Parts: sequence; structure tokens; C-alpha cells
Amino acid sequence: MGKPEPALELTGRVVDAADILSPDFEEQMTAILADLEEDTRVQLVVATTPDLNGYEIETYSLNLARAWGLGDKARDDGLLLVVAPNERQLRIDVGYGLEASVEDEEAGEIIREVILPHFENGNYEAGISAGVDRLIEEVTPYDLKVAA
Amino acid sequence: MNLKTIVRGIALAAASLSLAACGINSVPAAEESAKAKWADVEAQFQRRANLIPNLVEVAQGAAQNERAILTEVTEARARATGINISADDLGDSAKVEEFAAAQSQLGAGLGRLLASFEAYPQITSNQNYLALQSQLEGTENRIAVAIRDYNEAVRQYNTTIRTFPDTIGANIIHGAEPLVPYSAVTEGAEEAPQIDLTSN
Repeated sequence: MGKPEPALELTGRVVDAADILSPDFEEQMTAILADLEEDTRVQLVVATTPDLNGYEIETYSLNLARAWGLGDKARDDGLLLVVAPNERQLRIDVGYGLEASVEDEEAGEIIREVILPHFENGNYEAGISAGVDRLIEEVTPYDLKVAA
Repeated sequence: MNLKTIVRGIALAAASLSLAACGINSVPAAEESAKAKWADVEAQFQRRANLIPNLVEVAQGAAQNERAILTEVTEARARATGINISADDLGDSAKVEEFAAAQSQLGAGLGRLLASFEAYPQITSNQNYLALQSQLEGTENRIAVAIRDYNEAVRQYNTTIRTFPDTIGANIIHGAEPLVPYSAVTEGAEEAPQIDLTSN
């Protein structure tokens, strides 16, 4: 199947196309996400977009995840957190290989209870940071948590 | 090595080349891919059907009107799960449409039911309901993705069997028939019920 043309360029683990994050935050978050991949092999990317180009966020984020080829092809263990501040939309995309780790109700809860309260106060960085922490917790195997 | 073997060698090479190009392998491969994608479509519809009994408990807190919609939904579920499409039926547009109509009806009923629950703060603040709502929403998304992937596989297969030189193998050797793309009968029926996740 042909890969769709990505709406955003995959420039790193944090793609802040909407320009709502500070360079310091991006740097810290990139380090956290790099550690995650080293520990668990899971690729998690945080993306912000100024414009969904008229798409539903479900379609937009799925196209991004597929066009970028997040996660290992066989394990399908990519994770994508997309924030569209102007449309006030937010989504977590979970590769099929991680569905048991991040179930629908957990993803929904992370959005509702962990991320949105910060976003409602206008604090995108705190929301993303808290959401990423929870996602990392969900995908980190128990023995790694004990070792940490 | 005499001339004859060289000629035979060339002829053999040419024969295997043309066989590779005439759909001997590409047609069944495209067909298998489409059938595998269909299995995923069915699995995701089944996943949705499996979640519906959990709504019965939620609806206990609602009024008569919502319970009537729930009855409709459980009936639609029974109809939808009663129709199965085997891989061999995928070229049968009447069967595929019947299946799609039943699933669309179920999806539409489910969407209305969830929307009607919005009027009940005691339901929408219930953790079990919120979890179920996320599961249903996630499943609708998976259904949409599975259908999209299936239709893409069907498009590739149908293109393969109609395009020279694959069409030779498709017609003569495999007797390949085109497959029917899946289209949701009700406009928007396969879209996830829209839940506004932003604040009020």
C-alpha cells in the first residue's frame, strides 16, 4: 500500500508545527522519548499542528502515524500524541501491537483526566508532559519499573 | 555447450519471466491480502457487537425513551451478527450490501443511544460508562480503519485482475472475479460518534 504524503514533516520526536512549546521543553521531551525507546523500543512521537486541513483528527493523526511509519513494522508499537490547539482537538494513536498496554479506556482517561485539565488552563507543556508520563507508565513492563 | 541448449535456456528463461508477469503469483497474493483485510473488518464489527451488552447496565439509569432505543440497538445487533460473509462471498455485492446495511443500522442506533445518554449527568459521570464510551469510540475508529484498508486492498486486487498482463493469468488460470468494496449504506454511519473532548 502506498504511503500517504505526511501533512507534517517528521523532524524529530517532538514535532511542534503549531509552535506552542518552548525549545527547552522540546529538548527535555525529546530526551525522555529517546530514553523510552532505548528502554522499551517503543517509539512515541508528540506532534502539534496549526491546522487539521479540514480532516477529522482521527483521519489526520492516522495518516501521520502511517506516513511516518512510527514503531516497528512487525511489532506495530508506535504511539502518537497529536495536539491541534486551534481546532481544540487532541488524540492518542496506538499501534495495534500496544493495544493491550494502552487500552481504549486508558487512552480516553489519559486525555480526559490527565491532559485536558492542563490544556483548559492553557498549559500545553504540562498537559503533554503529564500525558506522556502516563503513556510511558502504561507501556513500560513491570520488571523495568521495579529496576528503575 | 551447443547452440540448442543455449536456445532452450533462453526460451525457459523467457517462459518463467512471462509467467511471473501474467498473474500466476500476483493475483492470488492480492486476493489473499483483500481476504485478510476483510477478516479484520469482521473482527472489528464483532468487537463492537461484544461491547453492546455492557450498555444494558448503563441504561438502567435512563428513562423509558432511552430503553426503547436500547431495545432497537440490541435487535439491530442480533440482525447484524446474524449475517456472516465468508471470504468466498466477497464478490457478491448483494450479500456485502446486506451485511453493510445491517452494520450501518446498528452503528446509527448506537450513535443515537450514546447521544441520548448525554442528557443524563449521572450516566456521563459514571466511570464505567466513560470507559465503555472510549471502547466504543475506539472500536468505531478501528472499524473505519479496517474498512479503509480493506477497500484499498480490493482496489489493488481489482486493478491487478484487470491490468495487462496480470489479467491473462487472472482470467485463464484463476478465473478471478472482482471483489466488492465496502461502502457504509447510511451516510456517516461508520464514523465514530463524535464526542467533544474539549471543555465546555
